[in-house]
Amino acid sequence: MRLSLLKTLCLVLGLLSTGAAYSAEASTAKQVVETFQTELIDVMKQGKSLGYAGRYQKLYEAVTKSHDLNKIVRIVVGKEWEKLTETQQQTLIDTFSKFSVASYAHNFKEYAGESFVFDSEEQTARGGIVIHARLKIPDEKDVKFDYMLKEKGDSWQIINVIANGVSDLALKQTEYSNILQQQGFDALIAKINEKIDNYSKL
Amino acid sequence: MAHFKSASHTLKAMAGVLFMLTGCASTGVVHQQGEKNKSDPYEHINRKIYTFNDHVDNYIAEPIANVYRKITPQFMQTGVFNFYNNLKNVNVVFNDVLQGKFEQSAKDTGRLAINSSLGLLGIVDVAKRVGLEQNDEDFDQTLAVWGVPTGPYLVLPFLGPITARGIPGAVFDTAANPSSYVGAPVQLLSLLNTRANAEGSLKFIDEAALDPYLFTRESFLQWRYSLATDGLSLKKR
Repeated sequence: MRLSLLKTLCLVLGLLSTGAAYSAEASTAKQVVETFQTELIDVMKQGKSLGYAGRYQKLYEAVTKSHDLNKIVRIVVGKEWEKLTETQQQTLIDTFSKFSVASYAHNFKEYAGESFVFDSEEQTARGGIVIHARLKIPDEKDVKFDYMLKEKGDSWQIINVIANGVSDLALKQTEYSNILQQQGFDALIAKINEKIDNYSKL
Repeated sequence: MAHFKSASHTLKAMAGVLFMLTGCASTGVVHQQGEKNKSDPYEHINRKIYTFNDHVDNYIAEPIANVYRKITPQFMQTGVFNFYNNLKNVNVVFNDVLQGKFEQSAKDTGRLAINSSLGLLGIVDVAKRVGLEQNDEDFDQTLAVWGVPTGPYLVLPFLGPITARGIPGAVFDTAANPSSYVGAPVQLLSLLNTRANAEGSLKFIDEAALDPYLFTRESFLQWRYSLATDGLSLKKR
């Protein structure tokens, strides 16, 4: 992540609208990640003026286009997926998508000179790609970000983000499948909605 | 900035300080035992201790740390952090050698020497400015390198998450850290500063976790595994 193609990309892509950035045909895995990172930094820079609602709106398309949220949800709930009705599956995907965007909108609200830099790219045994990147924070130790992507159609989408060795997907997998098994579907949705609600108020 | 740090998905949380403490400030978590997890055979009791630690944090550690943060200027908090972090490098160098990382041990020795002298006994992190990054090595990681299995996940009263292998690791690290021999007031300051620095991480877990116990356990185990394998664990996923 230290070979900072990103800073240049930030400047170039920052001039484009979100729609234009995504209107390109097939995107490589690296392009998908870098476009998303650029949009995140952009939202952070405008964080205060946009407010939570503005950040949510701007990030909704960025997150849903770059992440394969359907696949993520299926992995997260594991074998419980088949036990859900179609309506429940759709509700879970919608709620999870809102939660993901809300989390970004809440947490990426300020800018203090942070930047993402690309390190390397590697193929995984199962046909995926991992983009190794780092987040540079002034006066802090760099944070390693590894994005795992799978091919979807003619493009690539993120299915997991691993920060300093901690997998977001694995964390959610443990939490969600446990709650589904122990407390049921309605409790899981209620808990996620409560978190979304809190994010909008904090 | 504080928000951004927390945003980076347990960034600082995984940086270590968090798990030395009491867990996190959960809000109305339903404490139930899920499908038995192989790495957490004592989940039932661990959850109880976690809840106890949570109360200790809410009613004692957090209020004291909040006062400390309020009355202590940021530069002093940073200085205190740097001071203890520098002393920890004695330990890091030890473990570098025990793990056969001789090149890294030379760099970490340089880091310790520069910060102890030019950095005014470690208060200023001069080494970072000349490109010597802080490495994170401890005896638990050394035991992992030597092939000792992790053992079950445990939550200790007041001390928080650890693994069975981490217990002898913590004993060795405490013995090898010079700050262990300078008296209770100094250690208390270290603990206070650590808790104050962990505030953002604890807040992040409180906001993001649907089940803070599971969130803390999974992130702790993954983070420790990642450290023990120097990040190579990713390739196995």
